[in-house]
Amino acid sequence: MNFILRLGYVIQEGFRQVIRAGGLSVAVITIVTATLLQLSLFLGVTRVLDHAFASANQKFEMAVFLSASATSEDDARIEDFLTHDGRVDSVQLITKEAALEEFRKDPSVDQMVKALGENPLTDSFTVTLKNESMDQADSLAADLKKDPQVDDVSYGKGEWETVSNLIRVIRWTGFLMAGLVFVTALFIVANTLTLALWARREDILSMERLGAPMWMRWGPYLCEGIFQGLIGSIIVTVILEAVRRAAGQALQKYGGFDILNALPAQEWIGLYLRLMVIGIVLGILGAFWALQKKWIKERL
Amino acid sequence: MLIQGFHLTQTDPSGFSVLQDAYLSFPQGSYTVLLSENVMAASAFLKMLAGENRPSAGTLRIDHQDIYAFSSTQKRRWLLEVGVIFSDFKLLSDRTLEENISFTLRTKGFWDESSLGAVGQLLAKAGLSDKAKLRPEQLTDGEKQMAMALRAMIFRPRLLLADDPFHGLEGEMFQTLFRFFRELHKTGTALVLSTSQPSFLEEAKKAENDPAIRWVQLENGVIYPLEEKVS
Repeated sequence: MNFILRLGYVIQEGFRQVIRAGGLSVAVITIVTATLLQLSLFLGVTRVLDHAFASANQKFEMAVFLSASATSEDDARIEDFLTHDGRVDSVQLITKEAALEEFRKDPSVDQMVKALGENPLTDSFTVTLKNESMDQADSLAADLKKDPQVDDVSYGKGEWETVSNLIRVIRWTGFLMAGLVFVTALFIVANTLTLALWARREDILSMERLGAPMWMRWGPYLCEGIFQGLIGSIIVTVILEAVRRAAGQALQKYGGFDILNALPAQEWIGLYLRLMVIGIVLGILGAFWALQKKWIKERL
Repeated sequence: MLIQGFHLTQTDPSGFSVLQDAYLSFPQGSYTVLLSENVMAASAFLKMLAGENRPSAGTLRIDHQDIYAFSSTQKRRWLLEVGVIFSDFKLLSDRTLEENISFTLRTKGFWDESSLGAVGQLLAKAGLSDKAKLRPEQLTDGEKQMAMALRAMIFRPRLLLADDPFHGLEGEMFQTLFRFFRELHKTGTALVLSTSQPSFLEEAKKAENDPAIRWVQLENGVIYPLEEKVS
C-alpha cells in the first residue's frame, strides 16, 4: 500500500474505532470538552484583559514639559528627536500660548493669570507611545531628561506599572492553571485510552500474530485520539459561540456593557482554532502516552 | 518451506515435557499430519514452529534460518508468509467476517481493488456468503473455525500451521476444509496440522495412498514417522 492508501486506512479505522469504543469514547470526549471549557475560560479572560490593556494603552499619553528658556529651535530639535524615535507613535507640540488659551477656559485660572500679568506656562509635547513600546516609557523619559531644555516628563508611571503588573500576574496565573488542567486531563485521557486498548488486547495480539506492521496496529489508535480531541473541541466551539451570542446580547441589553463582544470576531476565531489545536494535541498525546504502557510497548 | 529441528527440547511452564531431544525434518512443500494423544503437546509444538514458543534447548531451522534469532522486523516479515490456525488466535471481535478476512490481505500486503471480490468468492466456496456481514459473536463455533481457516489460507501462505483445524466442523463444512487444504498444498504451501478428529482420520484413510500426506506421531516428547512406530 502506498502512503495515501495507508493514511486513508488509518483515518478510516481511527474513526471506526471511535464508534466501536462506544462508552470509552464518550468518556474521553467528555474529558476533552470539560478541559477545553476550562482552558477557554483562562484563555478568554487573558485575551479580554490583553485587549482592555491594549485599549488603555492607546489612550496613554506622556507629557514633556520644556524649560521656560526653550526657543523655537529647541522645540524643533526635540520634536525631531521624538518623531524619529522608534518607541513613539505620535507627537503633538503644545505651545505655551495654546496651553494658556486652554487654561483660561477655567474662570478662576483666568483671574490668576491676569493677576500674574504674564504667561507662566512653557511649551510642551504630548507624546503617544506605540503599543509594543509601553514598557519602554521609563527609558524614553530618561532619554528626554538628558536634554537640558526638558524640564519634566510626566506619564503616570505608578498607576501604569500597577495595572501592568496586575495583568501580568493574572496572565501567568491563568497560564499556570491552564497548564495544570491540561496535564490532569492528559493523565485521565491516557488512562481512559489505556482501558480502551486493554479491552482490545486480544485483537492487538491477533494483529501481531498476523504480522501486521506497526502503522497498521497503532496508527488507528493514535488517529482515534485525534478524532476524540477534535470532536471535543468542536463541541466546545459550538458551546462558546452559542454562549457568546446569547449572553453577549443579554449583557448588553440588561447590563449596558458588552464584555463578550469587546473582542473582535477574528479574536474569537483565533481562540476557537487554538482550542481545536489543544484538543487534538490532548488526544494524540493521551493516545501516545497510552501506547507507552509496558504491555503495549512490548508489542511495538 | 523446509523445517528442520535438532536436539529439540521443549518444556512447558508447568514442567510438562513437550519434546525431548527430538529430531524432525519436514521437506519443502510437504503436507504433514501430526497425531498426538496429548492435545496440549501438539499445540505447544505447532506454536514453536510459529515462532511463539521458544524451544528450551536445541535448534529449529526453517528454510535454514533460526526464527528465534530474528529481529522484530525480520519476524514480522517472516510471519507475512505464514498462516496459522490456533484456537486462541481469535477473529477480530469488532469486525465482520468479511472484514476479518480482508484485514489479513491488507496486513500481508496483498490488498487491491480485486481483493474484496476474491474474499466474496472464497466465502461463497466455503458456504459462508450469507454470513459475510456478521460479527464473530453472531457465528456458530463451526463457522468461526472455518473463518479462522479461511483467514489463514486466503493469501496462499508458504507455510500453514493448523492446530486441530477441524474442531467443531462436521458434514459439508468439514469436507470443504479438507478439500481446501489439499488444494492449497497443490499450490506449493507446506502444511503442518495436528488433529485428533476421528472424521479427519477416517477421511484421510481414503486418501491413504496419497503420498503427499506424511503422518507423524508426537509421543512422550519424541516425533517419529507413523510407519516407523514401534509398539
